[in-house]
Amino acid sequence: MNTPYEVISAFLDDEPFDPEDLARALDDPTGRTLLIDSLMLRRIVQPTDVMPPMTAAAPARRFGWRIAAAAAMFVMAVTGGYLVGERRSIAPADEAPPPTRVVQAVPFTPAGGVR
Amino acid sequence: MADSAGLFAAHHHKVFKYFCRAVGRGDTARDLTQEVFLRVSRSPVATNGDGSAWLFRIARNLVLDHHRSRSRHPEPSALIHEAARPAHQDVSAAVNEALGALPDLDRDVFLMREVSGLGYDEIAEACELTADAVRSRIHRTRVQLRDQLAAPIATSRTMAATRSGRTRKDDQ
Repeated sequence: MNTPYEVISAFLDDEPFDPEDLARALDDPTGRTLLIDSLMLRRIVQPTDVMPPMTAAAPARRFGWRIAAAAAMFVMAVTGGYLVGERRSIAPADEAPPPTRVVQAVPFTPAGGVR
Repeated sequence: MADSAGLFAAHHHKVFKYFCRAVGRGDTARDLTQEVFLRVSRSPVATNGDGSAWLFRIARNLVLDHHRSRSRHPEPSALIHEAARPAHQDVSAAVNEALGALPDLDRDVFLMREVSGLGYDEIAEACELTADAVRSRIHRTRVQLRDQLAAPIATSRTMAATRSGRTRKDDQ
């Protein structure tokens, strides 16, 4: 302790102190006045502003949620695309597809007739 | 180890109260409190204790930045409202003025103890001091503020005595 009254501060702040030192400091009227004034000082320094209701900011978690949503959408798009493609391709890939129209070949005849 | 939501729930009122007196304005205190927890949520929680020393180290840096920027760009509104201040705010203004006249470190050590309720060890960690240095600074600052705020302290004593007398009469 640097001054005989520092023990009063330790007592006020609920920090370790020597009871003998405190008794000596409070034997002195100056020490008693300091104790009371320090209590009054503590009272008047308390801020009067009130903290508005706030919620914890968690941008990191929100960012993670967005990544997860984007990944889920990507997986759904890929899976959907695969399933649609699977359903449309009924014929095996190594066979030629069945003809949808048959064109009959006709022998060529020139406009002037055959010479 | 605590997560950022846990730190917020446990400490945001203490941090806000510290800012209220350290910067002297409730709206700025709210903004700075949000800034502390925004920083906390962006970085891994770097503490092994309950986190208050770490939080207050961040808070203290923000206050120092705030005072630095205010010294470059002073706010005229404080002067404009000076005359129109209601009487009940006089004590608060006198406290802010006395705190503003203190060296930064003394003011912060004092406020962390008196307003936010941190222990000497936590303050020592937040301000990179020893616990003995914290004890000496707090005591010295108390004595200094007691001299500067003699009138509001005397009023507070009188009011406390009056209240106490009234309570005693009510008890009889």
